[in-house]
Amino acid sequence: MVTMRESVVGVGPPVSVGTAIRDAFVRREQAAGELAADAVRMAIICRDMAARFARGGKLIVFGNGGAGTDAGHIAVEFMHPVIVGKRALPALALANDGATVTGIGAREGFAEVFAYQLRHFADPEDIALAVSPDGREASVGRGLEAAREAGLLTVALLGGDGGDLAEAATVDHALVVRSADPLVVKEVHVTTYHVLWELVHVFLEQPGLLSPALIA
Amino acid sequence: MSMTEVSELPGVPACMRELYPFLYAQETAPDAVLAEVARSTAEKADEIVRLRREVAALYANDLSACAYAMAGRFAGGGRLFTFGNGGSSTDAQDVATTFVHPPTGRPLPALSLTCDVAVVTALSNDVGFEVVFARQIAAFGRRCDIALGLSTSGGSANVVQAFEEAAGRGLLTIGMAGYHGGRLAELDSIDHLFVIPSSSVHRIQEAQTTVYHVLWELTLRAMAELEVTAAGCPALELEGDMS
Repeated sequence: MVTMRESVVGVGPPVSVGTAIRDAFVRREQAAGELAADAVRMAIICRDMAARFARGGKLIVFGNGGAGTDAGHIAVEFMHPVIVGKRALPALALANDGATVTGIGAREGFAEVFAYQLRHFADPEDIALAVSPDGREASVGRGLEAAREAGLLTVALLGGDGGDLAEAATVDHALVVRSADPLVVKEVHVTTYHVLWELVHVFLEQPGLLSPALIA
Repeated sequence: MSMTEVSELPGVPACMRELYPFLYAQETAPDAVLAEVARSTAEKADEIVRLRREVAALYANDLSACAYAMAGRFAGGGRLFTFGNGGSSTDAQDVATTFVHPPTGRPLPALSLTCDVAVVTALSNDVGFEVVFARQIAAFGRRCDIALGLSTSGGSANVVQAFEEAAGRGLLTIGMAGYHGGRLAELDSIDHLFVIPSSSVHRIQEAQTTVYHVLWELTLRAMAELEVTAAGCPALELEGDMS
């Protein structure tokens, strides 16, 4: 659709773009479909997260760049659920405070931006959720180390080949979207964390499922 | 862990019981529960794949036209301003950072109007939340710029006002909504509106993410294809914009 208001610049003919659109959508299908293969793992992650919330823990989310916006999205998803009647659960994203992020970055180095905040704000019953499209970012890796040292449950949403973090000893649960395109990885992550949110509530509302004997 | 805390959680809404009846049966084996929950994850993965196919079919032509229009604006010295509320505010930030700091290709000027907490809280406190984006569009916007707003419901008053302000100033306007488009679908001020045909806020947001990612990719492609020389934003038009 080209409207009358499209007057400042001309609109060129869509030549190669038509093919590009088809390619772009096709490129996304496989990665999105593969999420189903991680379904059992996701259910276990949600059960463990629900157990932490039930103990009074909070969710601490972090990532860089586009993944930083996912961190913000995840935090608001838990804090202010879109489905009416769902309980608000405590969550915060570590990239939202520009003063703290730039302050730590300037004095401690950028690799410490998340780790520092986790050391000084996290409690042992909390959950650390890291988002990284390649699993190789130093700041995310350091954040997970600090979280593990403080006793948090550590979860990582990764992409590409999973990088160093996929097999890191500091990560309790890793989910890897096997795509080299960081934008495609992000799109699958959005579905992943929407489902995580929903299933955490399913487990929270069924307390019998959270008995210590059932949770590794 | 205190099970008392858990048992004190609010009651389970009826809709949840309908979605997951297996959880509320008298006796539930944990393995069966995990299997059921896993099955519902697989269903959602299926659902989003189908929805993206539908969106690709519905909007292939408009995605292309929109990308060429954006390329023209950028080539003329335009900048991209993005806005939305809640989860959509994080999408607005992702759109801006994808254009200004792309994974590959040339950076293009973009700013999310959701990030400056001082400005957002000042406008909300002094005037009202409905003006938080419109006032920023009024301050920053030039005729050659682009305004891109997201609202899953299509009903956000501050997003609607921002489009009215942007259209009045001659900006290219791009909207993303869900359901049936809400108020955004009724506006004359939106040049390209992408309505995701779903009633799930989650699936809508997931498909919107794909739409703006594809739009970014196509815009870079269109810029290369058009090979438009940067003309710059005409100064006379700027003065004419002042009111």
